[in-house]
Amino acid sequence: MKILVTGAGGFLGKSIVERLLAHGQNEVRCMLRDTSKARGLEEIAKRYPEAKLEFITVNLRNPAEIVPAVAGCDMVIHAAAALKGSPAEMFMDSAVASRNLLEVIVNELRPMRVVLVSSFGVMGVPELPRSAMVDESTPMERHPELRDVYSHSKLRQEQLFWEYREKYGFDLVVLRPGVIYGPGGGHFSNRVGLSLFGRFLHLGGSNLLPLTYVDNCAEAIVVAALSGANGQVYNVVDDDLVTSRQYLALYRSKVKPVRSIPVPYFALMWGSQMVERYSQRSKGQLPAIFTPYKTRAMWGGNQFSNAKLKSIGWRPLISTREGLERAFAAFRAEPEKAK
Amino acid sequence: MAETRRLRIGIVGCGKIADGHAEVVKHLKGAELAAVCDREPLLAEQLAVRYGVPAWYGDMGEMLARENLDVVHITTPPGVHLPLTRQCVAAGAHVFMEKPLALTAPDAKELIDAVVAGGRKMTVNYWPNFDPPAMEFKQMLARGEVGEPVHVEAFIGYDLAGSYGQALMSDAGHWVHRLPGKLFQNMMDHIFNRIVPLFPDVEPEIHAFAYKRREGVRNDGTDAMLDELRVFLRGGTVSAYASLCSHARPVANTLKVYGTKATVEVDFYNRTVISIASQRYPSAVGRLVPPLQMAGRYLSESKKNIGQFRRSEFHYFAGMSKLLELFYEEIRSGGEPPIPYSEILRVADVMDRVTEQVYPETVAGGAR
Repeated sequence: MKILVTGAGGFLGKSIVERLLAHGQNEVRCMLRDTSKARGLEEIAKRYPEAKLEFITVNLRNPAEIVPAVAGCDMVIHAAAALKGSPAEMFMDSAVASRNLLEVIVNELRPMRVVLVSSFGVMGVPELPRSAMVDESTPMERHPELRDVYSHSKLRQEQLFWEYREKYGFDLVVLRPGVIYGPGGGHFSNRVGLSLFGRFLHLGGSNLLPLTYVDNCAEAIVVAALSGANGQVYNVVDDDLVTSRQYLALYRSKVKPVRSIPVPYFALMWGSQMVERYSQRSKGQLPAIFTPYKTRAMWGGNQFSNAKLKSIGWRPLISTREGLERAFAAFRAEPEKAK
Repeated sequence: MAETRRLRIGIVGCGKIADGHAEVVKHLKGAELAAVCDREPLLAEQLAVRYGVPAWYGDMGEMLARENLDVVHITTPPGVHLPLTRQCVAAGAHVFMEKPLALTAPDAKELIDAVVAGGRKMTVNYWPNFDPPAMEFKQMLARGEVGEPVHVEAFIGYDLAGSYGQALMSDAGHWVHRLPGKLFQNMMDHIFNRIVPLFPDVEPEIHAFAYKRREGVRNDGTDAMLDELRVFLRGGTVSAYASLCSHARPVANTLKVYGTKATVEVDFYNRTVISIASQRYPSAVGRLVPPLQMAGRYLSESKKNIGQFRRSEFHYFAGMSKLLELFYEEIRSGGEPPIPYSEILRVADVMDRVTEQVYPETVAGGAR
């Protein structure tokens, strides 16, 4: 079976390719935006003598480039998405890119199984009570315009996949990873806190972080790609999750000191109301970076389940404890790039 | 009353800058953002959803036919400005153009002619010239405090690693790379639209040179883009020195006018307008006083800015709000355009001549 992985040169994409090879899927076509990303993948392939990796450089904004990438494949794992940029760019690289890919997929003559790497951000968590369980039955976000642009663009992306499946009837499996972490990844999810005016505001308190170590997440994607049921969603979080406070304490002891200001939830919510009101009153003189809606989504605090993922045979490759050890060791060696 | 009629506004081209237009129009009295359009419907949709715009379209003809728009903001790349303008004018809409107005000065002239022939109005988004410091400087000039301009220095910094810079540096197919003047053409308006109004209406002498300071290691279409531009100009008794600088830090945005009575520096980012203090007292004592005077002037600028902030008049696109207020007012009640068309065309002419000098091959090769 030939499998196309989009975003194969990315943080998660590289791990997906490795896990495919580990599962004996040797024919993998790696779609890259930038040829220079192939080097890391070639290193991985050396560990798998049977591997037949193909590399194809494609900008998903250009539909014509996608056709040869999809041709001859039996499965597409779509992991490419925008993580930063202006709203228009993020929609281009998540929603428009996905629509372009879907157009090519549905025009392929052979049946194709499609696996989408979506996000926790697409779920309507702000409407849930605090501490509520977040799982695959959580409804999708109804007010993406009130959330961050990343969540909005990922929601539109996932909706497109369901719309196209409805219309064209291909096999679709959707994964919604929580916070993907590991060596080479970001040091702090916004769920832990934000740097503001040179201080780190610790906003996560005792909330559980929906962490998934990059290799565990990639394993989940591959297990779901190979064994997941058509039309199903699988949330991806690891076992033995830590709280935001535990994460920060461990980061301090293993990586570097962080001067942080803890902000309790009630104060954050009050501050969010103030920021939102001020932003409205001043006609957007300062952006509403905090609003009660965003605060409920990001820092309300929830429980998370990976039972559905386990029901199809996924097990974390490494524990959260070991994942954090590895990530923090790497963070210590390579300081975070300025954002 | 006709004077307070809410204008129905549309936006065509839902890329990055369209956010700025939507944000400004949303808060303007007497205007409502009725519809947005992009040939990529998903982009139109995201802008509409985020700004609560009631309608979005993938086809401008359809938007014009259904929405009865008073004004269309054309925020597409400049290559399609002319045909889109014709279409809007034919539908009875006025147009607010994003810069650069067109690919060449003759195209710019054709665009303005089309608007005039259709009995509609246009202006171009020279918003920094309507920011509070620019407005204050214009008043100083009108009051004669600067005297006659002798020399002008316009400096614009550009950050290739910034959000706009990254968008074009990471994409060799970005439309900016296809402009005859590439990056410069997308930024030069903001330089020359400050110089041209201070020049007499004669054809200026122009000497431009440009180079690439960064190392070209990408081996793609981005490598051809030069990133440092210097231009000397002289028109009658006024000279000017214009820079677009991608490497100096901090990234600055300033205009310094050396007049026969005073020298004034306008800082667009820091929002200050400072008249340079002169030595009025003799000897060493005389040299002690001017820095104190300058400190006092900066302090009073700070106070003014804090006042504006407290009154919620300190937005990033304050100048665009002001320009649109003036433009919409012109549409409602007639009167003079906020930027004379002749001035827009003179800016376009200077830009063409700079491009001819720094990218002779694209001009000769017919890229335009």
